[in-house]
Order: sequence, then C-alpha cells, then structure tokens
Amino acid sequence: MIVTRQLRRFGLVAVGLALFAAVAACGDDGEPTPTPQPTSPAATATQGAATPEPTPTVGGTLVVYAGRGQNLVEPLVQQFEKDTGIDVELKFGSDAQMLATLQEEGDRSPADVFWANTAGALGRASSLGLLAPLDDELLSLPAAFVPDSRSWLPVTMRLRVLAYHPDRLKPEQLPKSILDLPRFARENGLQGRIGWTPTYSSFQDMLAGIIAVHGEEAARQWLEEMKALQPKAYPSNPAMLEAMRAGEIDLASTNHYYVVRFQRAGYSIAMTQFEQGDPGNLALVTGAGILKTAKNVPAARAFLQYLLSEKAQQYFVGNIGEYPLIEEVVPDPRLLPLEQAVRQGPSIQLEQLPLERALQLLREAGLN
Amino acid sequence: MALAHIRPRAAVAALPLAIPVALAAGGLLVPLAYLALRAFEADLATVEELVLRRRNAELLRNTLLLAAALVVTTTAIALPLAMLTVRTDLPARRLFDVLLTLPLAIPGYVGAFVILAATGPGGLYPLPRPSGFWGALIVLTLITYPYQYLSLRAALLGVDPALEESARSLGRGRLAAFLSVTLPQLRPALLGGGLLVALHAIADFGTVSLLRYETYSFAIYLQYSAAFDRTYAAWLALLLVALTALLLAGDWLLLRRLRLARTGTGAPRRRRPTRLGRWEPVAVAAAALPPLVAVVLPLVALLDLASRFPAGHAAGLREAFGNSVTAAGAAAAMSVAVALPIAFTAARARLPGAQAVERLAYVGYAVPPLAFALAWVFFTLRAAPALYGSLPLLVFALSLHVLSEAMGPVRAAVRQASPRLEESARTLGAGPVKTFVRVTLPIVWRGAAAGGALAFIGAVKELPITLILAPLDFSTLATRMFSYTQDAMFAEAAPFALAIVGLSACFVGVLLWTERTFSS
Repeated sequence: MIVTRQLRRFGLVAVGLALFAAVAACGDDGEPTPTPQPTSPAATATQGAATPEPTPTVGGTLVVYAGRGQNLVEPLVQQFEKDTGIDVELKFGSDAQMLATLQEEGDRSPADVFWANTAGALGRASSLGLLAPLDDELLSLPAAFVPDSRSWLPVTMRLRVLAYHPDRLKPEQLPKSILDLPRFARENGLQGRIGWTPTYSSFQDMLAGIIAVHGEEAARQWLEEMKALQPKAYPSNPAMLEAMRAGEIDLASTNHYYVVRFQRAGYSIAMTQFEQGDPGNLALVTGAGILKTAKNVPAARAFLQYLLSEKAQQYFVGNIGEYPLIEEVVPDPRLLPLEQAVRQGPSIQLEQLPLERALQLLREAGLN
Repeated sequence: MALAHIRPRAAVAALPLAIPVALAAGGLLVPLAYLALRAFEADLATVEELVLRRRNAELLRNTLLLAAALVVTTTAIALPLAMLTVRTDLPARRLFDVLLTLPLAIPGYVGAFVILAATGPGGLYPLPRPSGFWGALIVLTLITYPYQYLSLRAALLGVDPALEESARSLGRGRLAAFLSVTLPQLRPALLGGGLLVALHAIADFGTVSLLRYETYSFAIYLQYSAAFDRTYAAWLALLLVALTALLLAGDWLLLRRLRLARTGTGAPRRRRPTRLGRWEPVAVAAAALPPLVAVVLPLVALLDLASRFPAGHAAGLREAFGNSVTAAGAAAAMSVAVALPIAFTAARARLPGAQAVERLAYVGYAVPPLAFALAWVFFTLRAAPALYGSLPLLVFALSLHVLSEAMGPVRAAVRQASPRLEESARTLGAGPVKTFVRVTLPIVWRGAAAGGALAFIGAVKELPITLILAPLDFSTLATRMFSYTQDAMFAEAAPFALAIVGLSACFVGVLLWTERTFSS
C-alpha cells in the first residue's frame, strides 16, 4: 500500500515536472519571431501583385478569423464560396479574443485573414507585426481611411452618434460638441441621467479622438466633468439602449447602427450628431488584413477584394445599416450620404489614435 | 529506492487511479505554468501601476462581498428545497427535481440581459430594474442556487436514515436529531456546493457587468479586451488563482479528518417520507417559485424580446445542436471519469499530495476562461501541434474547466463509500474490478450522475474556451446565441437559447430518472 502511494506520488511529480519543462523549454518562442521561414509567402505574393498581371488561378481553402458577428459573416462567406469556388473555414470570437489567439499561435497560426470589428484591433495586429503589407491595387478600393501602415483594408464605417430619449430632450437643444456635453447636462439637470460605456472599444476610440483633436488636458477635464455627473456605466451598447428605453437614462454616446436596429424594433430612441469634425462623431472603421502566416495568399487577396465589391458592400448596408466604403453603393436613406458621413468625424489617422493614453486617462479616473 | 520495493501487481493495481489523476493534475498545471510565463514578461513598474493599484483592492473587496453573500443566500434557498424534495411526500417530486435544477441551464449573461430588457418602465414586468450589489446578488442567487441544491440533494439521498432514527429512538427531537446527526453528514456537500457558488461569483463577468456591479474579473476583462494585453492580464489572473487557493485551503481545513462512511450494509432502508399534510400547498408554491422566477420569467421575456425585433434567418440550429451535444457530452463524461479517481485518491490515500490534486481540480474553474484557452493554444501548438484545432482538444479543455463542477457531488459521494466494504468484498474473493462495479459504483453512482449533469450544463453554455479551441467551422448553441445577442438580434438568438435550456432540461431529467430507478 505504502509503496503504491509512493509510486503514485512519484508519477505525479514526474508528469508535472515534464509538462512544466516542456512549456518552459518552448516558452521563448511565444512571439512571432523570424524563424527560418525561407521566404514568407505572404510577403512575396503581395509584392508580386503590385505589378498588375493576369489573376492567378485562385482556389483551395482559406482560413478566416473573424472578430465580426457570425450572423453577419456567414451569409456573405457562403456567397463568396459560391462565387469563387474557394472553401472558407471560419473561427469567430471578439476582436480581442481573436487577437490574443493569433498572438499565442505566433508562427504556427493556421489563419490567412483577420477580419475585425475595430481599427484598434487591426492597428494592434499591425504593430505586433502580425499583418503582411497590402498592395496598391487592394488599397485603392476603399474611398477613405487607408491606414498609414498599409497593412489592412478598410471595409465599412460606423459613426459615433449621440442617442437621446425624444420624449425628454429636443434635438435643437443638444450641444454642438462632445466637449460641451457635461455643461449641457449640468444646466439641464441630467445628473445621473447619462449613460456611457467606458470599457467598450468604440468609446475608448472616441476618447482617444478627443485627445487627438483637443489635447490630453482637455480630455482629462472632460472625463472629470462627465464623472461628476454620475453617469451610469454599461458593458455593452444594447444594454445601454435598453436602459434608455426603460427610462434609466436620457442621453448616451453610442454607435449609429445600434440606434438603427433599436429604431427598426420600434423603440423610441433618437440620434443626432455634433457639428462636423467633432471627435464625438468619430468614424469607426472595420477592416481586414492578410496575416504573415497566410498559406493561401491568392485566396486571401480575393477575399479582401470581395469585401469591397458592390455585392458585399450593399449587403453591409442592407443588413446592419453600416456605411459602405465604395461610392457605387448608396447608403440607407436613414443615413447620411457617404461623402458627408466621412467628413462628419475629425480627420485623423485611425492608427495614430492615442489609444494607450486614452486607457491611461480612464485608469487615472478609476473607470477601468 | 522506493521503486525497488514495488511489487508489480500493486503497481498495476494503482494505474487505473494514477493515470487519470496524473492527466488531470498535468492538465491543470498547464494554465498555471502559462500564466507564470506570461507574467514574467512584465515590466515591474507597470505591474505596480496596473496590478497593485487601489482600484483593484476595491474590486477584490466587491468580489469577496458578493461571494460570501451568495453562499449564504444560495444555501438558505437550497437546503429547505433539498429537504422538501428528498424527505417529504411533496407531489411530483421528480418534476420538481428537474425544475429546481433548471436555472443552471440559463446562461447568466442571457438571463441578466433579458431580465434587464423586461423590467423598468415600459418593460414586460412591472418590476424595478435590478442593479448594483443587490441586483447582482439576486440574479446570481437565482442562477447558482442549483449547485448547492444538487450537492445537498445527492448527499441527503446518501445519508443512512438509520443514524437519524437511532438518534430519535434515543430521545432526540426531530430538529435536534437533524442538527446533531444529519447536518454534520451534509458538511462535505455544503462545502462543495458553497465552494462552487463562491467560485462562480469570483469567476463571473457577464452577469455582474450587465448589472453594473464591478468585481475583480472586470479588471481582467479590461486588460484582455480594452488594452489587448496578455501580460498584465496574466498577473491579475494569477492573483485570482491565489484568491481561489485561499478559499480551497479554507475548505481543506474544514474537511480535514472528516470520515463519514457508512459501515453497515450497502442497502439502507428507504426512509419513510415526512408527511406535509396541510402544508402541502405552501411547500408546492415554495418549490415552484425559484424555477418560475429564474427560468419561466426570463424565457417569456426572451420570447417577448424576440417578437419585438424583426426576425431574420436563424441558421445552423441543427448543426449547432449536434455539436453542443457532442462536445459537452464528451466533456461531461470525461470530467466524471477524471473526478472519480481523484476523489478516491483524496479520500483514501493519507497523503497531503492527494488532497492537493483534488483542490487542483478547482483551478480549471478559477483561471479566467480566456487565459485557460490561450494556455492550451500555446501549449498544444508546441507540444502536440496535430491536436490543435481538433475536437479532442476542445473536449479535454472543457472537461478540465468543468471538472470542479463534477467534483462537488462526486467527492461527497465518495466520502460516503466506506473502504471497509470494499475490503470485505476483496476478502471474499472478488477482484478489484468486480469490487468496484458491484460494491463501490452503486454507492458513488448518484454523485457521479449529479456531477455529470453539472459538468454537462456547465460545458454546454461555456463560451470563450469553445470559441478559441473549437475546430474551424464548429459552432455550438452557445456561440451562435452569443453572436446574435451581441448584435441585438434577439429573434434569431431565441431558438438557440431555448435549445440550450431544453437540452439541459432533458439531460437533468434523464440523469435524475436513472438515479431513481437505480436506487429503487
């Protein structure tokens, strides 16, 4: 009896040690370091495509990691498979989950394309060196927002808007700038009646936009003034708009397509924008990039191209009320014309949004 | 030196226990090793700024407060309910067994969202919107009390009525006999259930964030999600694991030297149920209330919400159903298969190490699921790349994640199985396999069934691990439902939510039924 117990203990220790040693031994190559991969297929292929040549035969299998919703992606991908004969395999999750997975996978990632909800995640992927540079032909497709890094392709756009309860507030009385929001709220007795989503990516992008346009000091002051109004914090935009429906709040900065969805469901929620160029109208761009680990680069390229085709862009407009990024497609009549929509937000390079500083400000303010 | 003394037969006999135990222990050490590895990449000044700040202490205090309160409220609900369904002539007891366990089938983030959508002015129910500490406590109580209920129920069924009857015959009153004889027997179950409930409160993010009560998991979520940072998230996760370790140490101190085995025969007399008499309507109402509030109201609210949003095409229901059954079913079976040998080793071997392995089972639950999944991405790609993106990997990771859910009932049952019985069987010439099947299994069966049910329900609604480790193009009911609710597509999400609840209900029903027929 005693002997078997000792054996058991010995076995446990041995297995534990072996596992730990295995993990520790390979711990140093956790990042996508330049392991001897003779020529990165992604690099060569995209460079080759810079000189226009007849499209090579595209086929095979394509692996896409999608931070965008499954319900949005799947029908479009099925259409793409039908149109091109390329077989697409999908993985879904939030942008952050997909990005963390890609980082852990490093050089061993099976993924070809990262299709994300936010420019922030794409910018982060780009700065981590996960994305291969794209060619001019692809980057000439979207009407705006091509990033300086040229490593991902803008696909659609959303706008930050000010949502309000139309029974309690009138559009003409609302402030012209996001910076005036706290003063407006104080003067109209809206303490505790404002909702926000300080942990949500788009809100943080907007705060970074305020820093970019008005400077860090103004952004800090804005946060402090907002905090003094005891705003209610929500983890997601649908939760916040439900709270507005329930009369918990009257005013909230959110993304336009959520309001469109709730309006379609018959909710009494209205939206407006600040004056042109205000960071409160920040354009939020979704996009996709080709990973350095991509094994089927021609198919990945074809996929990105497809996302900016009229067919796909029309689909984004019709199904979720996003703004298209090619001029051939007419946005939803409820939305602004594309050119005007693009001009609504401040003109700043999305990849240069000082997101780190925005997060720092939120931490200092005790908001995250 | 010790190895030289081993008799081959003894070594072989130890293998059925040692292999699963080693597998689980190794598997649970992987996430810890991974977190430590990531944590070492950190810059110390930033650690101080991000990890050791006052705000995290506040979040920690919020977490502990919620966990403590939740253990009290869930026990206050679960103990009387378990007594009602096990010890009285409550009508339709089998139905109530299922109904009372059903709230587990409602994923917390869904339950909280639909409740919020259905309350307040203009909502379906004329109730105030729950929020803050009390809101989180109420909603989590309704979602998690079944852990405590199942745990206590399995233990009550295993308690030998002869003990309490002896106490009664020796002149103790009904209450005194319960307090002095039965309640101490329930201690492992109370601790096991309470531990799960507390861990749930610590690990939960979806529910508390919707109810705007910020706990420690919130800080971890922010690091991964908002800052896209794995390093400091690893620090925060390690601190969370340390907190869990403290809880487990407390549990271990309380359970130490507890031997509750029955020494009599393997066939206890059936207890005569207590007559409810004129209290019956009250008892029925009391037993019906929790499922009504925790299951029926949210489901009705979900359908109402679905009907208000324009319906689209909900694709892939059948496929997702099959995938969920496969992954969660296999994970549940595997977690029970691992939990049993661990519980046996812990209950029988007088080794501190053996006890530690049992506690280690809870690590799978304490490590934030996202970190848990990333650890397996990291480890598999380096140690066994062929397994990456395969169904077995998902099943293995899920089974470790829900191992602690299976552990509570299994461990309570194993502690009630006396080694003397097995020794007698062996003396009478039965082999180890026959002894296990004929003597041990009938005693621990109930615990294994309850543990399997819990593990299945936990696995079927799990999200981050499934999203990250599932094979490509592998969608489950939970992943699809979550995707729809994220985009406020409630009409499309509803069938998936209903399928999760229905599936879990069937599973619980079948298990409880098996248990009844087996014991009668």
